[in-house]
Amino acid sequence: MSYTLQFGQIWPFLPRLLEGAVVSLQIAVLAFCGGLLIGTACAGVKSFGPRWLARIVGAYVVFFTNTPQLVQIYFLYFALPDMGILLSSFMAVVIGMTLNAGAYLTEIQRAGFESRRASEMEAAEVMGFSRLQQIRYVILPHVAKVLFPPLSNQFIIVTLGTSMAAVFGVEELTGEAFNINAQTFRSIEIFSVTAGIYVVLTLAASVGLALLGRVLFRARTELI
Amino acid sequence: MHHLDIAGLEARYGEHTVLSGIDLTVGRADVIGLIGPSGSGKSTILRVLMGLLPPVAGMVKLDGEGVNYADATQVRRLRDRIAIVFQQYNLFQNMSVLENVCVAPVKIKKRPRKEVEEEARALLAKVGLGDKLKRYPDELSGGQQQRVAIVRALALHPEILLLDEVTAALDPELVSEVLDTIRLLAKEGMTMLIVSHEMAFIREVASRVVFMAGGKIVETGAPAQIFDAPEHARTRDFVSKILRH
Repeated sequence: MSYTLQFGQIWPFLPRLLEGAVVSLQIAVLAFCGGLLIGTACAGVKSFGPRWLARIVGAYVVFFTNTPQLVQIYFLYFALPDMGILLSSFMAVVIGMTLNAGAYLTEIQRAGFESRRASEMEAAEVMGFSRLQQIRYVILPHVAKVLFPPLSNQFIIVTLGTSMAAVFGVEELTGEAFNINAQTFRSIEIFSVTAGIYVVLTLAASVGLALLGRVLFRARTELI
Repeated sequence: MHHLDIAGLEARYGEHTVLSGIDLTVGRADVIGLIGPSGSGKSTILRVLMGLLPPVAGMVKLDGEGVNYADATQVRRLRDRIAIVFQQYNLFQNMSVLENVCVAPVKIKKRPRKEVEEEARALLAKVGLGDKLKRYPDELSGGQQQRVAIVRALALHPEILLLDEVTAALDPELVSEVLDTIRLLAKEGMTMLIVSHEMAFIREVASRVVFMAGGKIVETGAPAQIFDAPEHARTRDFVSKILRH
């Protein structure tokens, strides 16, 4: 047990780790926003759509929530080229994570849609709101408030999941850590610093989202 | 001409007939008190009038003009003229008191926000809620929420106001503040249909009392007649039971 920690050797690499963190955030934001769109549409179908379409959406959700994300991205990255669809590793990761997030977000949002209060919709109806106006002024604000905390959680999960991109050679935070490790062999130092950056990222995201929720929806999220 | 004319109105929930042949005429500034045992169809009349439950037979006329409840445009126009307040208030939980009152006039009726807000402030002050504009429904007592619900209905400038057991969900000490508000409206000449179990209040505020049982109107008359000298045995039975406790 004669290992001496030498953080000094990896400080020069810190800018590269931070650049990697920016890429991680890009993947997370793209996948989460894409997943949010898919999730909203699919939750709408599951709650209000025709049954045959709801079945298809159900199959999508079951498939993506019951297979490992790594395998899903592998499929996109290695199997699709055989069908003539060539994806960059960055795109394969973003699309894979989007589809995966979309499946989870479908289930989260469906719960939100189903928490809508029939009595409020009835009140809106007799006050002359059309169906669309009921959705816009009554359902969506309510659903957004109910959903804000679980959606924030899902964003953190997606952010941490981006480390999988390293497997495909994307130079995001974990990928950069792999590279620097190969050059310096200072594994403990590098991965502890990397872990620290992830903690900072997710903490900043939770605090930011919680504050946003308070301002927008009076949502009381526990900070930490 | 009658303000509201109901003739032969019938309604069903599935196979179950809840209204069978209701005839009722309501004049301008009339305050009709609807009383009767639970399940007698009092609230159902209000729901049918609002277009929440389509009638299977009968006729509803507003100022002599028939309403076709199968026609969405006509139902929307009717809802411009009749407003309802529910037993459970049904306020929008995600909106402040002021926003609850203003949302429909501003967003749906496209009236200028400034004018609507001024009116809302005045109405809320009139019912004693002038200091609660920025509060949310879950921060108010039941009585306060119900007064907000009444103001929200009034902000739509209805000609007729339907009140569906608006005090039934309230603690006894909060009932009077809501009844005061309704009294005020009656004095100002609002046409109202009031479903209520507050017999003393109905007796005081109603110009006519309608006693219902089993989906039918049993007896209609002045409050003194219904409460002191009912003609029908069924009415007598109900009134004596209610007034005994």
